[in-house]
Amino acid sequence: MNKPLILIVEDEGTISHFMASMLASNGYRSVKAESGKEALAMAASYMPDLLLLDLGLPDMDGIEALKALRLWTDKPVIVVSARGHEREKVEALDLGADDYITKPFGTSELLARIRTALRHSQATGAKEAPGAFAVGDLRIDLEKRVVSLSGREVHFTPIEYRLLVLLSRHAGKVLTHDFIIREIWGPYANESQALRVNMANIRRKIEANPAEPRYILTEIGVGYRMAEEYTGC
Amino acid sequence: MQDDRRPDPNELLNELKKSETDSARGKLKIFFGYAAGVGKTYAMLDEAQELRKNGADVLAGYIEPHVRPETLHLLDGIPVLPPKIITYKNIQLKEFDLDAALRKKPAIILVDELAHTNAAGSRNKKRYQDVEELLAAGIDVYTTINVQHIESLNNIVGDITKIAVNETVPDYIFDHADKIKTIDVEPDELLRRFGEGKVYRPDRAAAAMNNFFTKENLRLLREIAMRKAADRISHDNQSGRQASEKSSMSQLLVCVSSSPTSAKLIRWAARMAEAFYVPWAAVYVEDIDQDDLSEEQKKWKHSNIQLAERLGAEIVTLSGLDVAAAIAEYAKLSGITNIVVGKSRTKRWLKPYFEDRLIALLPNIEIHILPDSQAKNSRRENGGRRVKLGFSTADTFKSLAMLVLATGFSFLLKYFNIGDQNYIMVYILAVLVISRITTGHLYGILSSVISVLAFNYFFIDPYYSFSAYTPGYPVTFLIMFLAAIITSTLTTRVKTQAKLAVRREQRTERLYEINRKLLATRGEQNIIDLINEYVVKIFQRSVIFYTDPAGQSRGTLLAVEGEKADFLFKDDEKAVAGWCFLNQKQAGAGTDTLMGAGAFYMPVVSQGKSLGVIGLSCEHGKLSTNSKFFLQLIVAQAAMALERQVLSDAQRKAMVASEKEKMRGNLLRAISHDLRTPLTGILGASSAILENAGALPAEEKRKLLNNIKDDSGWLIRMVENLLSVTRISDGGASLSKTSEAAEEIISEAVSRIRQRFPDANIQVRVPDEVIILPMDGILIEQVLINLMENAVKHNKNNAPITVRALKKSESVRFEVEDYGSGIPAEDLPHLFDGLAGRKNGPDSSRGFGIGLSICKSIIDAHSGEISAENNKNGGATFGFSLPVTAAPSDK
Repeated sequence: MNKPLILIVEDEGTISHFMASMLASNGYRSVKAESGKEALAMAASYMPDLLLLDLGLPDMDGIEALKALRLWTDKPVIVVSARGHEREKVEALDLGADDYITKPFGTSELLARIRTALRHSQATGAKEAPGAFAVGDLRIDLEKRVVSLSGREVHFTPIEYRLLVLLSRHAGKVLTHDFIIREIWGPYANESQALRVNMANIRRKIEANPAEPRYILTEIGVGYRMAEEYTGC
Repeated sequence: MQDDRRPDPNELLNELKKSETDSARGKLKIFFGYAAGVGKTYAMLDEAQELRKNGADVLAGYIEPHVRPETLHLLDGIPVLPPKIITYKNIQLKEFDLDAALRKKPAIILVDELAHTNAAGSRNKKRYQDVEELLAAGIDVYTTINVQHIESLNNIVGDITKIAVNETVPDYIFDHADKIKTIDVEPDELLRRFGEGKVYRPDRAAAAMNNFFTKENLRLLREIAMRKAADRISHDNQSGRQASEKSSMSQLLVCVSSSPTSAKLIRWAARMAEAFYVPWAAVYVEDIDQDDLSEEQKKWKHSNIQLAERLGAEIVTLSGLDVAAAIAEYAKLSGITNIVVGKSRTKRWLKPYFEDRLIALLPNIEIHILPDSQAKNSRRENGGRRVKLGFSTADTFKSLAMLVLATGFSFLLKYFNIGDQNYIMVYILAVLVISRITTGHLYGILSSVISVLAFNYFFIDPYYSFSAYTPGYPVTFLIMFLAAIITSTLTTRVKTQAKLAVRREQRTERLYEINRKLLATRGEQNIIDLINEYVVKIFQRSVIFYTDPAGQSRGTLLAVEGEKADFLFKDDEKAVAGWCFLNQKQAGAGTDTLMGAGAFYMPVVSQGKSLGVIGLSCEHGKLSTNSKFFLQLIVAQAAMALERQVLSDAQRKAMVASEKEKMRGNLLRAISHDLRTPLTGILGASSAILENAGALPAEEKRKLLNNIKDDSGWLIRMVENLLSVTRISDGGASLSKTSEAAEEIISEAVSRIRQRFPDANIQVRVPDEVIILPMDGILIEQVLINLMENAVKHNKNNAPITVRALKKSESVRFEVEDYGSGIPAEDLPHLFDGLAGRKNGPDSSRGFGIGLSICKSIIDAHSGEISAENNKNGGATFGFSLPVTAAPSDK
């Protein structure tokens, strides 16, 4: 299999340079684009397997570039954005970005995001629905609708179960509040309070310490993410 | 950070220009003539044609339809504003359409006949008010007027022509006009025009010529008009020089009474004031029998005061028993140099003439006495009103009872033979008592007469007859009669005075009370509520108060109990209030402007700036002048209170701004200092690696690289903190609070600290109950990170750090507890203001002071509290609490 090709869209030379060298030493190929227009042109000609898109571009809003990309490709896009710009991240995610990473980030963090995104894009291509999901001690049997922790069965309310299944199906990926609410309660619902309460209750059932969760992670101001790899403590 | 969109200077300049032209008043040009037919309208249209040919935007707002055909020809080419049709009592009246004119906003508008009175149902009562609005809107106005319509000349013209003209225009309109053009023809020529039927239709012309347009009249009118125009020219020449001195030079005062003749005095005074260019005042003395004024007299008093006001006088109302003394007192206090009074024809008992008293009291002031042609009539009327003719059964009964009692007592005295002279005393006592216990003069005087008769009948020889033998008795009767009358008059006067004093006392008391309460009231809404409450209490009318009737906000309504006053919220009522606010004049029911409104509106003005409008419902009748006057006093208090509020608000804002500025300055200084240290480290380490690439041992290189990484990490955290500050720099308003679960925020913060300090021993405790509260999650996370970082840094031997969340009834408390060295006592008070630890060398300054001061601003913006204390068993606890205002927990 070929090394995956990654398009880095970033106007700051130092940052794109360090990303490129890091990618190269971890088994990826990369090309660089410095503006939105260039990025769109290169995405069409190189057909990269993944895009790292900085939202602050000199010539156009990164969100606009994302919209233009999503018109014709569903290759994974990881948005690079600064801390404090949570609304921008949510917007990007709702517009079809696969994940986001907050500046400044470490190499390991970036590599983990890239791995997850690539795996998901391959999995959706295969279109197979697995019968079970497992991470750490947590196991969800989707066919029997049973959740167990270290082999012991845990009981959930229907909504809690649906939340858990939704998160596990997108494990490793951030789901925005709005997306989750839409999926569980339907459109036009404003259940942000209920979502948090349900989430807290799920945590109390599966996490050893709900204030230090290992399965369901919070992305403040954005949404929730189900851990894909059990990090331990 | 900073808003990148900087305003374009050109844009600002344009806006400035626009506001300048908007605020500029239009210019008024008056075509002035001495009679109808001299050619004012012709001259006006002629000039308009000239302007139009030069490209000016001229609009014919209203031209009298009876204008001569050759004049109407001049209208060709000038756009004409269609008149507004107003139906009044089934007659269709054509009126000038003010609103359409304001909408069209031409450069120049022609409005004929300035003195015209608008049909009922128009916004303004008089056309000159329409013109004032046009001028205020920045539209130049051309208009026409005849000399007899000028207020101050009205009576002179009336005297000459013997025809009263009701439509008048206040002098200030004429005086403040930018240009006056006098249109003049020889009276002979004018009469010829009449004869030819060019002015009026032939049938009316004949009548006019007989009454008004006699050659003699026209010559006089022409002279008056010329003089008026000449006066104005000489003013224009002088006003520049004298304007500044005028107030100090002299002052004119005219005494106004409730008689129709005062109008003449007022007009005379107005002309005098104008001629000498001095300010003038009209004084009305509210005398103690004011209640006894007849309806007609009240009306006259009213119209006199209004006339003076229209002519530009300052209105002064005094009250006192002695009119002359009150005026003299006022004149002395306000530096009056000339007083105008009418000659009083009747002399009252033992009392000098009013004007003589005035001269005696004010030896240094010039008194101008004008003959009073109708004085006799009015005085008799005045004298007549002193005796109040009103029968009341109770009073009659009381009087009769007293007299019978006195007679009985006298018989008793006679029976015991105790001196004749005592009978008189008994009767006088009875009269005194009767005056005291009855109202008005009538019973006192009647009792005097009856006493004398009874005394004569019962106690004078021959008894039981009205004749007397002894020659001295008629003298006794006379003295007794006089004594009785004087006693009764005096008693009545004392009573009235007491009543007046009580009423005045009440009024002053109320004002004082309002004033006192206003002084203790803070906040605009509270002031308004207080004023509304008092106005409703005093006037028993529903009241509405607007602070900005032009804007979207609803007024504050307070209805009288049991009344539905919702109509005050209607849009057309608000529009009246809006007019009142903009023009700073009273409007609505009972005024000349927008009289169709359901309420009376008075602007609340302070130092030329409208602060609000107060409206009083007139559903159950209009306000009396007295009430308006009193309302004005209250409104003045309200204006003062509101202005005080505005000023104190502005001051507080300025203080907060300067405080913020100071804080920002401190922060910037601290940051620049703090940034230098890690940057120097990075620069040093990286150049060491670059320059000694080969020579450095791998271990050393690794160390240097680690230093670079640590320092950049520190820099990034600093920048993140600073970004948090910009998020809240606009104050709490810009915070985007959402409901967040406390444990989620804590877990995020802890996981970030773990990434940075993998060895940190952090223990987290959250209650089983889910705590959800409104906050800006990112900012609160930042606070927790800063506090934990602090704890990690000051910790010893990797002792545990505890992070807790506790739910209280109204708030949630977050705590970070460490077992480190604790906080130095001298730092405790300054911990959160960015200055702590500054003296202890560069290392402790790193992120300690700034981090905590940022925490404090974040918590402040959430209306929470942050604190720190040393633990008893070592270490310190930092904690903050956030209010649980909205969004109660589901569980």
